[in-house]
Amino acid sequence: MTLADKQEALTQQKSPSPWTIARRKFVKNKLAMISLTFLLTVIILSILAPYITTKDIVRIDFTQISQPPSSESWLGTDTNGRDVFTRMLYAGRSSLTVGLTCMLFITLIGTAVGAIAGYFGGKVDQWLMRFTDFMLMFPFMIFVIVLNTILVGKISGLWTLIIVISLLSWGGFARVVRSKVLAEKENEYVLAAQSIGCKPYKIIMKHLLPNIASIIIVQATLMMAVTIVAESGLSFLGLGVPPDTPSWGNMLFEARNSDVLKEKVWIWVPPAVAITLVILSINFIGEGLKDALNPKSRR
Amino acid sequence: MLQYTIRRLLSMIPLLLLISLVVFSLAKMMPGDAFGGEIDPSNTNPQYIEEMREKLGYNDPIIVQYGRWISNFVQGDFGKSTVYKKPAVEVIAQRIPNTLFLAVVSLIFTYVFAFIMGMYAGRKPYTLGDNLIATYNYLALAIPSFVAGIVAIYIFSFQLGWFPFSGSVGIGLEEGTFEYYVSKVRHVLLPALVLGLMGTASYTQFLRNDIIENGRKDFVRTARAKGTSESKIYNKHILRNSIIPLITFLGFDIATLISGAVITETIFTFPGIGSLFLESVSRRDYAVMMSITMLLSFLTLFGNLVADLLYGIVDPRIRLD
Repeated sequence: MTLADKQEALTQQKSPSPWTIARRKFVKNKLAMISLTFLLTVIILSILAPYITTKDIVRIDFTQISQPPSSESWLGTDTNGRDVFTRMLYAGRSSLTVGLTCMLFITLIGTAVGAIAGYFGGKVDQWLMRFTDFMLMFPFMIFVIVLNTILVGKISGLWTLIIVISLLSWGGFARVVRSKVLAEKENEYVLAAQSIGCKPYKIIMKHLLPNIASIIIVQATLMMAVTIVAESGLSFLGLGVPPDTPSWGNMLFEARNSDVLKEKVWIWVPPAVAITLVILSINFIGEGLKDALNPKSRR
Repeated sequence: MLQYTIRRLLSMIPLLLLISLVVFSLAKMMPGDAFGGEIDPSNTNPQYIEEMREKLGYNDPIIVQYGRWISNFVQGDFGKSTVYKKPAVEVIAQRIPNTLFLAVVSLIFTYVFAFIMGMYAGRKPYTLGDNLIATYNYLALAIPSFVAGIVAIYIFSFQLGWFPFSGSVGIGLEEGTFEYYVSKVRHVLLPALVLGLMGTASYTQFLRNDIIENGRKDFVRTARAKGTSESKIYNKHILRNSIIPLITFLGFDIATLISGAVITETIFTFPGIGSLFLESVSRRDYAVMMSITMLLSFLTLFGNLVADLLYGIVDPRIRLD
């Protein structure tokens, strides 16, 4: 056997990387895969909304008020004569935009605060964590509502809600990241990196964060479910997304009218089902990721 | 223990002051004049408005205004509700019993159901029943409370007609009569069931895992070896150990229940603190809004303290100092 052959044999036997193992585990998890497919379908449908349907989402049509489902409008029309199916697609857009953007912001803030506090320790840690605890102390719903009332109208559309939710919910995330960093930085590779003069920024970005990536990914996924619930809950109260923008919570708002709730089921059931299924699938994906990224779990 | 409690209570004071600062600045930033409700709105004479503002102290520096508000607040004067034309304390005190009643009943539901399901699932893990309970838990975690509330009203109030769907008591009933209390209970059952059943998931899961874990411990093996009956092992030996951590959840639940009630109370148009808060925000009743915010922040702090204290009481191995 020549040296080249040997090398080739070695590369063929190369054990799969942790990410490959995780991917394989995840693909085998049926529930998680079904959920992922469902979520992706919802996302694609929402993105393609303007191409799928050409009905107007804003214009009020008094000739078409509260029509039950028909071939003309698949899910009927709401109390303002707007097509429920069309609104569902556009509502998916705003609800998912809020969910995804908040998730991104919360992950960024939470990871930054947690990693800095955990890595530097001492005074920095103390002050950052004190601040985090302070933020966690505010009753979430109450302060979201108050902040939202202040900012509404000053910043356009969805951004008010995104900023408010993100500002108030990164606390738990930061705590989780900090505790993981605290444990991880005790490892020798961190000491090695420090001893050859690596900058703290580089150690955190290149050494610590990749090693706690699995926790961050799982937490971020679950955070998305939390923010979507927060968004739709606030919109349901009439305090979230502005009423002219459809969102699943805004559509449920109509169910507060007992006539709609009792007689016009087609108006409120679709958004209710959509929210529940989306949250459920995100939770399953989160569980699947947790399982797949945990090297100790066998499956 | 006592020393620890006192120290914790004292350390709450600076935190509460900080919160009050935040609440005050938020109220100041709110659209409209934060405390302007006392000026007669029909009188638009600028001189009158200026006079009233001067009289009520809105032209003082912010710091002075804050000082006045907080010193009144500490003395129990929460300001005057501009919507109800009554002191905010009275308005809030009127609503508190309703919210407390709802919270207590829903807590009872949470504990009873979590108890039954958790014990069953912990005793027979990985069976059909356990899987069904796990499925229920997933659903309960995924379904937002407002969706559950709407569906519950639709099914139980409109289709089956079992429960009333709004208010906290029937109209025209004399307070103190038997019917009055029956009606009160009937009104609270549905929102409490929704709140309570949605809250069971984490408890059930916790109890199940704890029972499974405890079932593997040495004292259980000893009990088995001595021939103790299986039901006695589970109901006495294991349960006593597994129930302890559950009690500590209570502290965290105090604030969650009350601020979570904002949504539930709105769905069921239940006149409690949560719906009062929403009303005060939308009608710019700043005195009430600020008082409720302060009250709930205090409750959160207090709940955390209770949780910590309960830890120490139920598990003597944990030392508080």
